Amino acid sequence: MKSLLTGLFIASSVTFAAGAASADDTTANLRLQAFGGDAQLTAVKHAIERFNQKYPNVKVEVAIDPISNGWGDYVTHVLSQFNGGNAYDVYGTAIETFRTFEERGLFVPLDDYIAKSPGYSDFDPSLFKYSSYQGKTYFIPIGWNNIMINYNRELFKEAGLDYPKNWTWDEFREAAKKLTKRDAAGNVTQYGYEVPNQNFFVQPWFLTNGTSPLNADWTASNMLDPKVAETLQFLHDLIHVDKVSPIPGNSTMDNQFDAGQVAMISRGHWIIENAKKAKLDMDVANVPSKLNGNTVIGFGGYGVSKTSKNQELAKELVGALTSEETQKEEGELGGGVPGRKSAADSPAFLAFPPSAALYYQSLPHTIPVPSPANFQDVEKIFMRNYVAMMADEISIAEGVKRTDRELNESFKRLEALQKAK
Amino acid sequence: MRAAVMRQASDLQRAQALSGYLFLLPSFALYLAFVLAPVVVTCILSFAYFDPMLGSRWVGLDNYIRFFTDDRSQQIFWNTLRFTIFAVTGNICVGMLFALALDRKMPAIFLYLFRLAFFLPVIIAAAFVSIVWSYFYGDDLGVINYYVIRLGLSPVHWLTSSRYAMMSIVIMDVWKNAGFFMIIFIAALQGVPKTLIEAAVMDGASYWRRFFRIVLPWISPVVFFAIVYASIGALQVFESVVILTRGGPGDATRSMSIYIVESAFDSFEIGYAASIAVVMTIVILAITIVQFLASRAWVRH
Repeated sequence: MKSLLTGLFIASSVTFAAGAASADDTTANLRLQAFGGDAQLTAVKHAIERFNQKYPNVKVEVAIDPISNGWGDYVTHVLSQFNGGNAYDVYGTAIETFRTFEERGLFVPLDDYIAKSPGYSDFDPSLFKYSSYQGKTYFIPIGWNNIMINYNRELFKEAGLDYPKNWTWDEFREAAKKLTKRDAAGNVTQYGYEVPNQNFFVQPWFLTNGTSPLNADWTASNMLDPKVAETLQFLHDLIHVDKVSPIPGNSTMDNQFDAGQVAMISRGHWIIENAKKAKLDMDVANVPSKLNGNTVIGFGGYGVSKTSKNQELAKELVGALTSEETQKEEGELGGGVPGRKSAADSPAFLAFPPSAALYYQSLPHTIPVPSPANFQDVEKIFMRNYVAMMADEISIAEGVKRTDRELNESFKRLEALQKAK
Repeated sequence: MRAAVMRQASDLQRAQALSGYLFLLPSFALYLAFVLAPVVVTCILSFAYFDPMLGSRWVGLDNYIRFFTDDRSQQIFWNTLRFTIFAVTGNICVGMLFALALDRKMPAIFLYLFRLAFFLPVIIAAAFVSIVWSYFYGDDLGVINYYVIRLGLSPVHWLTSSRYAMMSIVIMDVWKNAGFFMIIFIAALQGVPKTLIEAAVMDGASYWRRFFRIVLPWISPVVFFAIVYASIGALQVFESVVILTRGGPGDATRSMSIYIVESAFDSFEIGYAASIAVVMTIVILAITIVQFLASRAWVRH
């Protein structure tokens, strides 16, 4: 089982040998665990080539994880590597996992390296704020993603709708109704919206209603807030009253969006890569607001593992991986919005979708995805009950109570652990 | 002289015994390292809170108390039993029907073709089968619902409603595994003495009468083996559920083995997961014992 999982996780493992000759003659092997798709792998490869120009005798081995089962599974994967004494030197990971890793002291602080390397001021300060724990920075941010409404412009035109700008929940709901098509027998042939089936995508609905499933400092459940139930009811009604969305299933509907079978989906910048390939006439819009227009943000970062024998070299590698060139390339290839503002101002990044500038414009209105140290547990608990509520298996009232109880039990266990430590 | 012979024999015996043990050693060492040791460690862990990085402590029976008082684990426990009952019944019955259908004179080419066709799903990994079936079962774009809608019926929520999700998984499981039991039953059916059947035919016994009075009792040990084997497999159902429903909606299709993995590697509650594993082992053991006891009444050796 374990070997099967490892096999699935490590989609590809490539070794890069030294290239050009100059500078440093240090000889070492570094192992890098990155995440993402082809675009990220390409950008990472190029970053390593640049790193190798300075350190021609350092061999960097790369593994890349597509994160197809969410960050909880990635945490499991990384922890098992540390437990097995087989940790990589450098890890790419995301905010969802930061607390879990920091709590366990698996990464080294990078403050010294950041201080002596000019150029990190180009990053939005909020990104560094969330990659820090107890005053120390353990991860250097890379690309980020905030959830926006991605919509099919052609289907909007067909339905006689104006492109959305700043809209409300009700306006969104009306649009979704108009964008849903049924055949003569009443069966849906085109959905207006996909009610999200992942924790990250669904967060803006809570945030725009001024609430969240967890409390502000991520230490307890906030499920009993009536606004949480109100939000869930709204999503539930999109599925069961308006019938503009299917029940969230196991797989995301990205392909159906690219095929024009779903008019709107809540996603981040990573879908642009495929939308371009599918020649989809799409754009992004701000999430519909109720009490505010806040949306959720998640971002990736690189850290150096405590068990690395070449920590200084590993930091240099992180430097190459977070450089402006790498960021620009990642932004242009798709997969995330570059953490460096300069990289997101490039014409290639702004070329598509038409409102690409909205990504940075909405940054001040973003709140990070709740990422407590028991994230992988919290995500499972929330999603299991959320799907049950959306599938009408349990009532919203019962569902929020059950989620609340389970979340608080999980936080109690976490607290007991922290005390034991 | 006699004593010398004795001593010689004893040396030989000892040498033989030694080489015997040496031959045993590799398999015993592997058994010790990969079967016995994990079992013992699991039992010990089930009384602890274990975290390799944040520290561990003994918690006595807490893990077991939690399992038996938590309503989630109750539901998951019954899910597993429910799946086992339906899947075993389905696999054995369908496998037997296929075997009976193929246990007759027909051109060899058809015989091999049908056997191959029914057996083929068995050799495909459950993971691939599940992925393909998830396309069949899709709510709106699924193959099955396409025909359901064509027939003028409203689409069925195969995987997104707790009313059908478990049955959908059972159907897939039977489709995949019935061929295995078919092969076993065909072999058993061919061992039934022709003379007995011919005598019964002469006496004018009908097909089903012959089946229930002669064939089934004759192959009952094989059927018994098949039931035990199918039950143990069904109690451990994992990948098909994970891929089709991830245990959902809610906990509607979550099985104990999924719960073990999730507790151990998502919640990092190794101790709690170990206690579930111990409970599951005891349940499998108990069910097998019950089957053995019941078999005395109907299995004829």
